[in-house]
Amino acid sequence: MKESIRPSAFSALGIAGALVIWQVLAAANVAGNALPSATTVFATLATILGTGTFWSALGATLGIAMLALAIAALAGVVLGLLIGSFESVRYATLAVLEFLKPVPPIVILPLAVLVLGPTAEMALFLVVFGCLLPIVMQTVDGVQGTDPVARDTARSYGMGEGEILARVVLPSAMPYIGTAMRVAAPAALVVTVVAGLLGGGPGLGQSIYQAQAAGDYASLYGLVIVLGVLGLLFQGATRLAERRVLHWHESYREVVP
Amino acid sequence: MSARQAPALPTRNRKSTMAQQPETRISATTPRLDVAHLAKTYGSGEKSHTVIEDLTFTVDAGEVVCIVGPSGVGKTTLLKCLAGLHPASSGRAAIDGRTISGPPPEMALVFQDYNRSLMPWLTVRKNLVLPLRHLKLPAAELKERCDSALAAVALSHADNQYPWQLSGGMQQRVAIARALAYRPEILIMDEPFASVDAQTRFDLEDLCLKIRKDFNMTILVVTHDIDEAVYLADRVVVLGSRPARVLKVVDVDLPVPRDQITTRSLPEFARQRTEVLSLIKRPA
Amino acid sequence: MRNVAVRNWVIGAGTPVLLLAAWWFLSANSADPFFPPLETILIRFQELWLFDHFQSDVLLSLGNLFLGFAIAAVAGVVLGFVTALVPPARWMIDPLIHFLRGIPPVALVPIFISLIGFGTQMRVTSIALAALFPTMIATVDGIRSVSNDLMDVARVYRLSRKERVLNVLLPAAMPQIFSGLQVSLQVAFIVMIASEMLGSSQGIGAMTLLAQQSFMTADMWAGILLLGVIGFLVNILFSLLKRKVLSWYIGSRRMARAA
Repeated sequence: MKESIRPSAFSALGIAGALVIWQVLAAANVAGNALPSATTVFATLATILGTGTFWSALGATLGIAMLALAIAALAGVVLGLLIGSFESVRYATLAVLEFLKPVPPIVILPLAVLVLGPTAEMALFLVVFGCLLPIVMQTVDGVQGTDPVARDTARSYGMGEGEILARVVLPSAMPYIGTAMRVAAPAALVVTVVAGLLGGGPGLGQSIYQAQAAGDYASLYGLVIVLGVLGLLFQGATRLAERRVLHWHESYREVVP
Repeated sequence: MSARQAPALPTRNRKSTMAQQPETRISATTPRLDVAHLAKTYGSGEKSHTVIEDLTFTVDAGEVVCIVGPSGVGKTTLLKCLAGLHPASSGRAAIDGRTISGPPPEMALVFQDYNRSLMPWLTVRKNLVLPLRHLKLPAAELKERCDSALAAVALSHADNQYPWQLSGGMQQRVAIARALAYRPEILIMDEPFASVDAQTRFDLEDLCLKIRKDFNMTILVVTHDIDEAVYLADRVVVLGSRPARVLKVVDVDLPVPRDQITTRSLPEFARQRTEVLSLIKRPA
Repeated sequence: MRNVAVRNWVIGAGTPVLLLAAWWFLSANSADPFFPPLETILIRFQELWLFDHFQSDVLLSLGNLFLGFAIAAVAGVVLGFVTALVPPARWMIDPLIHFLRGIPPVALVPIFISLIGFGTQMRVTSIALAALFPTMIATVDGIRSVSNDLMDVARVYRLSRKERVLNVLLPAAMPQIFSGLQVSLQVAFIVMIASEMLGSSQGIGAMTLLAQQSFMTADMWAGILLLGVIGFLVNILFSLLKRKVLSWYIGSRRMARAA
């Protein structure tokens, strides 16, 4: 009993302590009006939550992130299966993929804004760009990791190539795709916010930019808190979904290739 | 090598982990290692799980004692108590009359899983050096200790390799060499030869006897292999299972030096192993 | 067999060359304001980054990146050790860490701008704080997955606490720590660009965004190209370092897989 109470007591203490420090720092006026007090922020947050603009911004953010994620997942798996199944395609795309992999979407943000303007399409494009590659790469790894014995067995049962792809290769690549989705889902949210914050696309990122530009610091902090909670929910949801889809598969990917 | 008598060890600090007790006079009859009414229970209340119940046996200086018993009997738990890794629930284990309450300085332990007890990021030699660093030895002595330990297990050529580059038997020899370089007075081995092939196993058993002779160590080996126990030991402690207790301590009267072929073909060997086997097989 | 290898090599090396050539020729006489000729982009690349703005912007950005990353790396590993080894600290910090981790790192930049202003200090702070979490969380995971057997060995051979931390836990957790560091480096790179785009007139990110806003398309393309190359090279360098430091781990994994 005592053992299980202590950690949560310390957790509560940690959160309470952080809030008190925040409140004291704000009251001491260390950063002028740039650091509003915790109470002000939460009061402002309550007001924000009552406005329609907030909910439409939240809806835009979630809509863009999820639509882009779905597009990236579909396109990524198809491309991954294609690249993973044909050696020549794999070699042809190797250099390009390896070059693009460490390049975050923020790099091409100026180009996207230039061509598409500060629109939802621009945000969508950036998120798809950001999420597509990890999904493609993981799917390729998954296809490569298919047990050749299982493949040969399927062939000896007279399955066609398409059937093998759907019944053997795809299921065995699922854990890899699941890992990719777990990484991609929070990333989709992050990129959507970046597109709004830096590119003027619709959603919470834009709201944050406006709050900062207007010097409305209480709203700025309130919106960042909303994003933190949203991030936690996204992480939790994807972990849950992955566990549900991959309940049969207990192995996790190793850390270093 | 053979001229080496009891290694000089008094430099080692042995105060810290020993309970401060009135100094017991160590007479000729005080055993090196004394296990008295030792018990170990995990958990408490309804969920408690007694692994060891009332174990009593002794090991004299310079002896090789083997502990045998069915698998899952709690042999590893016993060794963890002896090595001071787990506290005993009741009873006590003592070295030279001093109760063990933490890893004793004069003891080294060779673990069952050689591939999980060696540091994979260190070369063989550096694995040997790691436990010696805090002894602050002069560089020459450090080198001499490692060299002679590696020579004793015939691995001088492998000192710059990583453990995972070696075969299972070689890795276990590295683990033994690490213990030797530490120059313990008491060496405890937990199923040390369980995961190596038969030929390597014979070699390692003979290595164990050679260590006793050359380094004059007191050795305690846990094994589930009855033949191995009889071949190695001066005495065999036979454990019965769940919770563990001592069924009998069997004195092994086989001639020394022992030899894999001649010793094992003696009628006496067969008689002794049958005795141990029947103890284990007999329904408790 | 050899023919296939040669063919694959040719395809692998040939495709990027072909793509670049296609870009060069297709854009050669382009009048499209969005897609200027590659030749123009490369000329601007050379003029901007290799001469005029090398010191004032390129070095500045890279300096911020490495300083911020270095602070995050050291602080992340140290905090990770404290969190993993001192349970009350873990219970106290854990919820806060998870909450802060949920915030998109780039969203912290406006807060730092309002608190510290637009200077270098703000940029380094943003980079360091955003990049801290991946390393810290990976370090905690790494320490907690160190096998009990190794810790038993350390205790039996009476290693001191310092030796246990520095010579057993740290190397044993190194594979996870390096995975965390790699993520931190990517986050640091993103926040470096974002901090420049949001509030400064200096740095590669700022120049690239400025070029876009003033329709100097070739300059913008040159900036994107430079950022892409930096992202790629930094990652390669880190991978090489990782391969060197973790050679024991990679080797032992390969051995285990072959067995």
